[in-house]
Amino acid sequence: MSPDDKKESYLVLDIDDWLTRAVLIEKNDGVYEAKAISEAPTTVDLPSLDVTIGVEKAVRSLGQSVGKEFWGADGPSGAHRFLCSSSTGNLYMMVAGVASMISAESAQRAALGAGALLTDVFSKDYPRPDFEMVERMRSMKPDMFLLAGGTDGGAVRQVLEMAHWIRTADVRPRFGSEYKLPLIYAGNIEARKQVSDVLPEEKYATKAVDNVRPLIERENLGPAKEAIYDSFMEHVIIHSPGYNKLVGWVDEPIIPTQAAVGKILYAYAVDRQVNLLAVDVGGATTDVYSIYHGVFNRSLNADMGLTYGVSNVMKTAGIENIMRWIPKQMSEGEVRNIIGNMMILQPTSLTSDDALVQQAAAREAIRLAVEYHKKIASRLKGVSLKRSIGDIFVQALEPTYLDMMKTQVVVGRGKVFGQSQITDAATLLLDALQPEGATEIMIDRLSVMPHLGMLLKANHEAAMQVLSKECLLRLGTCLAPKGRGNPGDVAMRVRMIKSNGVVIEDEVSFGELKTLALGNGETARLEVTPRRRLDVGRGKGKRLEAEVVGGELGLMLDARGRPLEVPTEKHNLAKWVESLKHGQKSLA
Amino acid sequence: MARNPWLEELFEMPELEGLRFQEEALVRKVRRIPTQGQVLVNIGDLVDPETVVVRGTVVNPEIHEVKIYEQLEVDTSEVERYMLKGEGDEVQKNEVIAIHRFFFGRASKVCRSPIDGSLETFLKSSGRVLIRGKPIPIELKAHIPGKVVSIIPSEGVVVECKAALIQGMFGIGGESVGQLAIAVDKPGEALTTELIEDKHKGKVVIGGSFATIDALRKAVRIGVNGIVVGGVDQKDLTDFLGYEIGMGITGKEKTDLTLIITEGFGVHPMKEGTFNLLKSHEGKQACIDGSTQIRARMLRPEMILPLWAQKNPGS
Repeated sequence: MSPDDKKESYLVLDIDDWLTRAVLIEKNDGVYEAKAISEAPTTVDLPSLDVTIGVEKAVRSLGQSVGKEFWGADGPSGAHRFLCSSSTGNLYMMVAGVASMISAESAQRAALGAGALLTDVFSKDYPRPDFEMVERMRSMKPDMFLLAGGTDGGAVRQVLEMAHWIRTADVRPRFGSEYKLPLIYAGNIEARKQVSDVLPEEKYATKAVDNVRPLIERENLGPAKEAIYDSFMEHVIIHSPGYNKLVGWVDEPIIPTQAAVGKILYAYAVDRQVNLLAVDVGGATTDVYSIYHGVFNRSLNADMGLTYGVSNVMKTAGIENIMRWIPKQMSEGEVRNIIGNMMILQPTSLTSDDALVQQAAAREAIRLAVEYHKKIASRLKGVSLKRSIGDIFVQALEPTYLDMMKTQVVVGRGKVFGQSQITDAATLLLDALQPEGATEIMIDRLSVMPHLGMLLKANHEAAMQVLSKECLLRLGTCLAPKGRGNPGDVAMRVRMIKSNGVVIEDEVSFGELKTLALGNGETARLEVTPRRRLDVGRGKGKRLEAEVVGGELGLMLDARGRPLEVPTEKHNLAKWVESLKHGQKSLA
Repeated sequence: MARNPWLEELFEMPELEGLRFQEEALVRKVRRIPTQGQVLVNIGDLVDPETVVVRGTVVNPEIHEVKIYEQLEVDTSEVERYMLKGEGDEVQKNEVIAIHRFFFGRASKVCRSPIDGSLETFLKSSGRVLIRGKPIPIELKAHIPGKVVSIIPSEGVVVECKAALIQGMFGIGGESVGQLAIAVDKPGEALTTELIEDKHKGKVVIGGSFATIDALRKAVRIGVNGIVVGGVDQKDLTDFLGYEIGMGITGKEKTDLTLIITEGFGVHPMKEGTFNLLKSHEGKQACIDGSTQIRARMLRPEMILPLWAQKNPGS
């Protein structure tokens, strides 16, 4: 293979607990495409205990599918190589700050943004006694610790006290008690030396970076996130069997899978200059990513998912909240047994009843995850706000960035979206997130977002092309008025002028979910007049004119009301899905 | 499905429609305490399930924070010079651990220990100490009959025995041992209240497709050690435990019964092979463990059915 071939070939791998997934991205007729995808079981655990065995299988299989050899004497070859990993679970982190709502919250955002699973967050105003904090630090062995606190040039004593608590707790790493625990200090710059003196060198690999909160009114997460990536590579992942070889095989440092997903979503939102909300529903966890006005946030609901974590969703949300979404009569006992079996058996194929229960549980998993995300995606606390009488009537000073009316793109990720009917995927997102105004609804159909996040730095164009053309499937734009009305009343009048000049006019009654035919990628001019007390983005009863883009389901008109009230009559739930199916057929 | 990490089998386990089992295996079970202690047996010793093989102490979770500066009415920075006890010192309940004399020694303020234990940490900067309760003694039994084949210095032993081994899908309750009693005629038969009898006290009872909640409650009342059955209703299990199981990590439930379900939640006839293997061991000893951990490094509940007489492991 000539160097020129390599120039346009990108071999990207993502390793999770079960699968090692390799993707080959190449340029074809001037356009980048995911030319091949292959999978092999991850081999980091017994009996193999060498992650490279799975990597070799995946890469060789990829080569076979395209008739090229990508495996040389020293590992993968013939292409640029990138890798992200979430094997051995997640990156388990503890964070600590001085004030829970200031430095600890910023540290929390930095860790989550870097793809971590937080085992706990500590602060001087920790609601439990200090010794419990020490006990907790000692018992929950993390992969890494992030300590923040104090503004630059501010008080030193309190952050030093936190360092003393860490020392007292003698926090040990999750794997290998003989290793040093990576500790990133991102607090008051003037306390660096003292913090480092408090934490014994033989136990902690302390690294000082710029303060996550240099000023009360300023947050600076970048250096802390970069330090987390470095420590992940140098101190955490390197201890997993075979990773020492992998590190030498790749062109860029290995980062956590969730961080790579965050990077590609952020790039997409920034490129398109949109506010974006993405949910990633896995077997054990539910991630939420948001980018509002260029500010990135990620949150993670650990132990809430659709297989291992599904019983926890039921425990937290309550069985009645799951059952309300099931569009047929089922007894509580049946639903509970299905959920229990999903947890203990993780079935690879689902019966129709299993699928209904899973979809219902997914709605609740997302709802809970987004509720939690609102706390993470919040304006900086501790900053004094000047409020005027006018602020009482606007949302400008709401504590969270998350605002469905200002969300232009919604993305669903995870098996529940990738393996279900697109109509089910669409109603799942509409029900769980309840978008308002005009929102593009997309799902990740190819499951290569982590790969594209890894590719981003080396070839932004390639990553974005594959993302837009192959990875994200646009289901359509949803137009949903905020507010409630009487069933049967006209909620909004819609006039759609297609790019070919065809004009479609329609009325949508309150409680109705329907579609207008607008092909995938086709744009149209939309004029919407909502009923007096309903808002489609311009204020109550005010007319909206917007450019919209169609998708696999056309243009979705959702007049079921916001907040959405789930009907007690099961046939109404089934009707909603049917109306989207009807729209899909009309486009076909 | 991964196996219990502290079991090693010499033979490959055949898979029986999702449930793995082995009619004859050389089971090696690691018995290890999470601390340094004293191993009480030697290599080659024959043990039975009740033999204590290792003993030690673990850290007491009871810990008290004492604000010495408050009791002595001094500044936090001054506390150190009034301390009578240092880190690591043992203390008795009400023993004086710090004293502040003033008025030329005529008056004093003292600080006493709230519990028996030891002074674990002195926090100089905040004038406080952490006092932890006395270590808690623990001991570990062999759980299976067999021969001690290796010693883990100061921590435990490996016990070996020839046995049949069956994994279940899910369980609650920890380790238990009892004589195997078959309460149903067929693997599709439900285990109801009437089938649980007084004679089952101390035994491991095998049901068929399903156990009712009343049967589980009666089993606890009678003193049954364990139940192995095809399925139970998830709601019944929740009611039985009194709380909702969130994550699939079990084994530490405060119930006097170990329950193993071999197939799943709901009504599920036990697989013929499993039922027949269990039936062939009727009246013999069964060592069971309901501990389950769903997710990475999966742990399934297990039934170990020793194949030899406990005092004659070579036979």
